[in-house]
Amino acid sequence: MSNTDKLSRKLFLRSLGSFVLSGTIGGAVSGCLTACNRLGRTNLTNSTYSTNFPVKMLGPSMAVGHRLRDMLGRLNPAFADEVKADFCKVVIVGGGIAGLSTGWWLQRHGFNDFTLLELESACGGNSRSGKNKVSAYPWGAHYVPLPNLESHYVRLLFAELGLIEGDYSVAAPRYNDLHLCHDPQERLFKDGQFQDGLVPRRGLKLEDSLEIRRFFELVHELRDAVGADGRPAFAIPVDLSSQEPKFRELDEITFAQWLEQRNFNSKPLLWYIDYCCRDDYGALSANISAWAGLHYFAGRRGRAANAETNSVVTFPSGNGYLAQALKEKIRAHIIESAPVLRILPGQKLSRVIYEQDGKTKALQAETVIFAAPRFLAPYIIADYKLEKKPEYAPWLVANLTLSGVPGSRGTPLAWDNVSYYGDSLGYVVANHQEITTRRSSIVITYYRPLARMPAAQARRFLQAQGETFWRDEIVKDLEIMHPGIGALITSMELWPWGHGMVSPSQGYMWTGRQKLERRFKSVVFAHSDMSGISNFEEAQYQGIMAAETIISSGTALKEST
Amino acid sequence: MIYPLLITAFVISTCGLVYELIAGTVASYLLGDSVTQFSTVIGVYLFAMGVGSFLSRYIEKRVIETFIKVELLVGLIGGFSATALFVLFEHVENFRILLYGLVLLIGILVGLEVPLLMRILEKKLDFKELVSQVFTFDYVGALLASLLFPLVLVPHLGLLRVAFLFGIFNVIVAFWSVRLFKDELRARESNFFKGAAALCAIVLVCGFAFSEKIMSFAESATFSEPIIFSTTTPYQRIVITGNGRDIRLYLNGNLQFSTRDEYRYHEALVHPLMASLPKPEDVLVLGGGDGMAVREVLKYPSVKSVQLVDLDEKMTRLFSEQAFLTKLNKNSLKDRRVSVLNGDAFVWLRELDGKRQFDAIIVDFPDPSNFSLGKLYSDTFYKTLRKALKPGGLVVIQSTSPYYAKNSYWCVVNTLKASGFLTTPYHAYVPAFGDWGYVIGSLQPFDAPRQYPPGLAYISPESFACMLEFPHDMQPTKLAVNRLNNQELVHLFEAEWSEYEQH
Repeated sequence: MSNTDKLSRKLFLRSLGSFVLSGTIGGAVSGCLTACNRLGRTNLTNSTYSTNFPVKMLGPSMAVGHRLRDMLGRLNPAFADEVKADFCKVVIVGGGIAGLSTGWWLQRHGFNDFTLLELESACGGNSRSGKNKVSAYPWGAHYVPLPNLESHYVRLLFAELGLIEGDYSVAAPRYNDLHLCHDPQERLFKDGQFQDGLVPRRGLKLEDSLEIRRFFELVHELRDAVGADGRPAFAIPVDLSSQEPKFRELDEITFAQWLEQRNFNSKPLLWYIDYCCRDDYGALSANISAWAGLHYFAGRRGRAANAETNSVVTFPSGNGYLAQALKEKIRAHIIESAPVLRILPGQKLSRVIYEQDGKTKALQAETVIFAAPRFLAPYIIADYKLEKKPEYAPWLVANLTLSGVPGSRGTPLAWDNVSYYGDSLGYVVANHQEITTRRSSIVITYYRPLARMPAAQARRFLQAQGETFWRDEIVKDLEIMHPGIGALITSMELWPWGHGMVSPSQGYMWTGRQKLERRFKSVVFAHSDMSGISNFEEAQYQGIMAAETIISSGTALKEST
Repeated sequence: MIYPLLITAFVISTCGLVYELIAGTVASYLLGDSVTQFSTVIGVYLFAMGVGSFLSRYIEKRVIETFIKVELLVGLIGGFSATALFVLFEHVENFRILLYGLVLLIGILVGLEVPLLMRILEKKLDFKELVSQVFTFDYVGALLASLLFPLVLVPHLGLLRVAFLFGIFNVIVAFWSVRLFKDELRARESNFFKGAAALCAIVLVCGFAFSEKIMSFAESATFSEPIIFSTTTPYQRIVITGNGRDIRLYLNGNLQFSTRDEYRYHEALVHPLMASLPKPEDVLVLGGGDGMAVREVLKYPSVKSVQLVDLDEKMTRLFSEQAFLTKLNKNSLKDRRVSVLNGDAFVWLRELDGKRQFDAIIVDFPDPSNFSLGKLYSDTFYKTLRKALKPGGLVVIQSTSPYYAKNSYWCVVNTLKASGFLTTPYHAYVPAFGDWGYVIGSLQPFDAPRQYPPGLAYISPESFACMLEFPHDMQPTKLAVNRLNNQELVHLFEAEWSEYEQH
């Protein structure tokens, strides 16, 4: 509320200005009138905002997770041995992008003896999605940037799904227009108006503009940098990056330190950089490694024949579309709502104890692919100890259905709509890609990383606050961009992510994550937390690498016989 | 008792001035030219107050009762004044009569207030005191109103609510007066007034509470001709104006046709394409819910079926049922060969996916003035369109003005070319619009027709030959392909037309 007050005061001062400046009655009257009209319209509802709509708290199955923790004590090895076990060569634990990609890759190579167990009622992990009458919408990841040349597996999948048309291995492939983000792509709310693009352009001092230019020149240089080993300085997946020390050393300081060393002080620039860090890592530049921070700006080199370089591939259900497509491919191998209670890795055979329809079941496997976040591993894998847990950033994601497009000043509604104020990342319009002209209702996905407090504290805070608290927080935040938006909201659903994504904190990219085992006895790990960056490309890469360990040993076996 | 009445003087003068300011503001807002609107409204209002003061002499008895009645009336009329002006703007033929009538009425009532109040007070103060006190409070109230109105009231409440609020104040004055003079009023009367005041108050409070809905309903557009029909559909606002034989259709305030010269627009849109086809049988019309393009299509006896796809059901219903409109399109939408489908063209074509194909496709969409319309001019759309075309078939696209928006026009041509069509751009002069552009897309080289159906007023082989020539001032300075992911056309269109909108 205070912000709309501020806005009106500012507008009024401006209209007073025109009173004084114009000097003529006509000017004064019309100056006053334009202000009156504008204000009369924008302030029809400024007194209180409406929160008269249903709110529902969804979220990952905490209940299952907690029950799992409770059962651990009771589940002794003897009991586990009693359960009759079927044999299955490979068991994949976890149906996020990593696990689904493992399955896709195995199947592509003719390995069909695998089963994927998913805790939740639907696969997808961070790429889960929902759907209502108006649109499908994401609960987490919602786009993939144009894949780089080295992002071979992403391109391959895109070609398989018809997202890339024609040759996928050329520098700039042709993409399916319907899934390239339609224009307008991004807008930023600053100083009372929306501007095109997310890099602040309004109200800049000359120093700000110069620093912003210097920053982009620097990151563009890094984007094109190639190490002595012939690899790009910042690659996607990160494992393909140059190993040259001058790049890897960037991991030893924080991104904020790196910026300070290079005298970047401009407030709008630092806002933009922090925005990007919160967007990609759920953390501030002071809490992430400089290597990871720079990776965001210097890692994306993908091009398209029919779009600009900053374009992205997106869907109403976000990356839920890709998760669903992968799932379709290996549907027969998937068991959903099947929490894994225990993994007992043996020398030759491992036992996986899981629950299905209230019954405890077991599978015997030659290899178990553990495609769940690593912090869960000590609870599930017998005798496995984790020396240092990776850090995970907590997030709140909300999907709001609006009965109309919220009014705003400046650039019209875009796909990604960001505010310079507040702690959220703004919102993405889920049905932006619709080709209909009769769109009246929209679904917006609101993202809020809890980046400003330590993760553990933020997680407790996230769980402690009820739906009314978050409802009021979200509406209050959105009202800054769109006074009166409350009255347009017809429903709101919330999804708290306690361990939303791995945080690439200082030293994690090239020291911390290297200490995570790739294998424990016959358990092979696959998750984006092993990359240090939580996104589709990394999750897919880790999943495929895990599958490769099986495929390569399998071929070896075939050759020996 | 004196001070309450002086406060009353203060309140009623504040209210009176606020109504005047509201009328002036609404008039400038809706009619433009704020200097004229403000001075005429203020003049009429002051004059009406004079009339009111004059009339007060005819009230001889029951001054208190009259005063209370006047307060209730001012409250009610003043309270609803802004709303009435906004809502009725599009529905009355002569808005100025309504405006000045309302100003006159409120002015007369407000003009009655002070003389009546002075007569009520005359027994309680001596003349010198009375004049000094009443006018002091009156003018102080006026100052307060003139400061509060622009600085506090309108910015925080909006015009409609301000009017309702001050209506409520008038009603409170009435209520208060009933209580002050309860000894001088008969009990029955006093109760009646209280009831009436309560009723007025409830109505005004409701108005205050729902003013926002009213405001969004009363969005305003300015039309120079009398409005003979208007309606709001989920997709657009349809306004039809009529001035003698000139009937005009506006969608969201943009002129779609004028009956004076629509034949030029529609002949140029339909005939070059249709007449060049040897035997067009199946025709698809996208947009064009007014049925005018279909009317021209039906001039070809070989046509067996016309499929019209228009988003807006209200629009096609209007043009197939309203007698004065079906006269314009020769009842084309009711022809047995024509089937009307209300849906989204892009979605419909994608679902069709080439399962049905046409000899001729006529694309008559609104100009690409926003991003959702821009998608209907994208290369993706034209590629989808291609699948619905029979081999040897033709498409024609209305593509904005090559004079006012030359880069936009050539962007449409270029996008069509990039989607695999051979293009034949041409333009025609339509007085209501200016110089207007079209482009024919074909898969084989296009041959201009040598013969047209009889009875055409505009198109002939000779006139069409001229249409193919584009002089220097219609040549593009920039060539772009309009894609879903760049919406070049909308950006160009916005930039080019805004030059003409800023006078």
